Amino acid sequence: MKILIVEDETKISEYLRQGLSEAGFMVDLARNGLDGHHRAMTESYDLVILDVMLPRIDGWKILEAMRDAGNTVPVLFLTARDGVDDRVKGLELGADDYLIKPFAFAELLARVRTLLRRGAAPAIETSLIVADLELDLMRRRVTRAGQRISLTAKEFALLELLIRHQNEVLPRSLIASQVWDMNFDSNTNVIDVAIRRLRAKIDDAFERKLIHTVRGMGYMLESNDGT
Amino acid sequence: MRRPLSLALRLTLLFSISAAIAFSAFGWVIVQSTENHFKEQDGDELVVIADAVQAALLEIRTPQDITFLEPRFADILVGHHDASLYVAGPDGKALYASEGPDLSAVLRPVPNGSAANSVRAWNDADRSYRVLTESVYKRAETTSGPYAFAVAVPIDDHVRFLASFRRNLSLLIVGSIALMSLMGWIAVRQGHVPLHGIVEQIRHIRADELAVRLSPDDVPAELTELAISFNEMLERVDEAFHRLSDFNADIAHELRTPIANLMTQTEVGLSRARTADEYREILYSNMEEYQRMAQMVGDMLFLAQSDNRQQEGSIAEFELTNEFHDLFEFYEGWADECDVKLDLTGTAKTTGDRRMLRRALSNLLSNAIRHSPPGATIRVNLNVTETGETRISIANPGPTIPAEHLPRLFDRFYRIDRSRQQSDEGVGLGLAIVKSIVNAHDGRIDVVSDNGCTQFVITLPAHSVSDLSSE
Repeated sequence: MKILIVEDETKISEYLRQGLSEAGFMVDLARNGLDGHHRAMTESYDLVILDVMLPRIDGWKILEAMRDAGNTVPVLFLTARDGVDDRVKGLELGADDYLIKPFAFAELLARVRTLLRRGAAPAIETSLIVADLELDLMRRRVTRAGQRISLTAKEFALLELLIRHQNEVLPRSLIASQVWDMNFDSNTNVIDVAIRRLRAKIDDAFERKLIHTVRGMGYMLESNDGT
Repeated sequence: MRRPLSLALRLTLLFSISAAIAFSAFGWVIVQSTENHFKEQDGDELVVIADAVQAALLEIRTPQDITFLEPRFADILVGHHDASLYVAGPDGKALYASEGPDLSAVLRPVPNGSAANSVRAWNDADRSYRVLTESVYKRAETTSGPYAFAVAVPIDDHVRFLASFRRNLSLLIVGSIALMSLMGWIAVRQGHVPLHGIVEQIRHIRADELAVRLSPDDVPAELTELAISFNEMLERVDEAFHRLSDFNADIAHELRTPIANLMTQTEVGLSRARTADEYREILYSNMEEYQRMAQMVGDMLFLAQSDNRQQEGSIAEFELTNEFHDLFEFYEGWADECDVKLDLTGTAKTTGDRRMLRRALSNLLSNAIRHSPPGATIRVNLNVTETGETRISIANPGPTIPAEHLPRLFDRFYRIDRSRQQSDEGVGLGLAIVKSIVNAHDGRIDVVSDNGCTQFVITLPAHSVSDLSSE
């Protein structure tokens, strides 16, 4: 998977490159609008991360040029201003998602993965399986090692989210927004409590733990037997 | 828009116009009554003569009698200074003509019935007269046609007197109007002196002297209101100013703590070589501080935008019951662990930005859970008042908040106990955000705390979707 980052701030762009490379992506970095425009128009990428405040050619122009040329590659734009105009403008110009600086890297990674998945044809799934845990999506049933586990609707949704993003760190804010539609920081440990309760049901009784806490960042469901 | 006329000019104009109207009316009445007086006087004199002439004419029996008339007419005129008489016979020939103007011209257009016995003005050879013409019919007379006569008195003196009277009166009136205008202007200028005094006082108030107040007792009664409302405005500005500088100090203070933590940790960490685990520990700890700062900046940005009503708004009508259902679902696990129950009664709809209101309600609910003792029940009540307002009340048992803190509870970074700063309490902007969101919806929020129960009440006006989206 090849990603183009167009970002003029040296520190952020370096860390983005490092972080995304370590997450297994091939990353190209353009440090100004002109270079970014050129690369976006001539090379082929799976995703473009675009800062909108750029010298010479701003992010909007690049996005416009790409869409005018019929380039449908997913675009995630970064904006420092928490303004209405930016978001609306970006989405109107055909961007797929946006993040407001400062953002958590885990959040960016989760969004990048979601955008990359969006391109793939959605498989009609009836169940999700991780190790010995199975989610029956049709009947909303969960079994682990053949044992039936009863979950509430929200616990089920939380587990489904974790499994769909397995091996990805999910920040608390993303979990709150995806599972409960709470799009703000609640300043509480609601998510921690919810995860603890979910763990009590699916992990506590078993030797192998699936849900892991990534300190300072969020939670992750690990499918590969790392230990 | 054109600048309105100055007050001095307005008042002076008003004075002048009213003086002009009053004096002109006064002058007109005087001139009219003087004129009428003269008219009546002349008329009376003419009627006396005319009655005598008529009586003499009626006494004529034979044509010979006519010859006796001449001395009789002369007699009649005696005592009437300057009066003239002209009498014509039925044949239209002059029977008598006194000295003075030729009155035959007055009679020539044979006066018909309506013109008879009328007093009117008449001019002859630069002189003005008032004349009375009359016809006398004699039943016994065989000859056709009436006798006719005209009496005139000169009125030149009266006319002259009236002309000069009018002139003098006009001059007097114009002079008075000018005087009144001048007086008005002076009065207005004088009246504005206290205003200039206030302006001088206000001019000297600087940003660091907002505690200065105007003294309402030292200004005229009319300006007391102005002084008082200006003082009230100063009060609000002063308060906002202090709040703002407190806010600045608070931001500095709030940022100083995490920055100090970061610096110390990093410095100590770098002071000698450490194991990877130790570095990781420092980075984790730093990240917590960063997250805290990022959240604070995000909250402050949200507040700034919400205060300026710059939030993106998807305004819609929605069920608050559903909102609380979702919020309870979100918080139930945590509430459960805190051994706090959530209870919802009533239903209500409202119109507004659902995401923003959800954030406000979530902040209140999390506060309530945080401050409730174990075993408590948080009661949420929704209802619609008779006036169509939506009331959302969130009440929780818990320590009573001292009354002096209540008004400032919604201030940014305000904490009841300044020394205490719980790590899970956020950055002290939660209630400020709630108030800001409620304000953006033209609503209000009140808080009551007594007998171990704290209750927040949000009142939202009965809006239609168009009311809010047009803002």
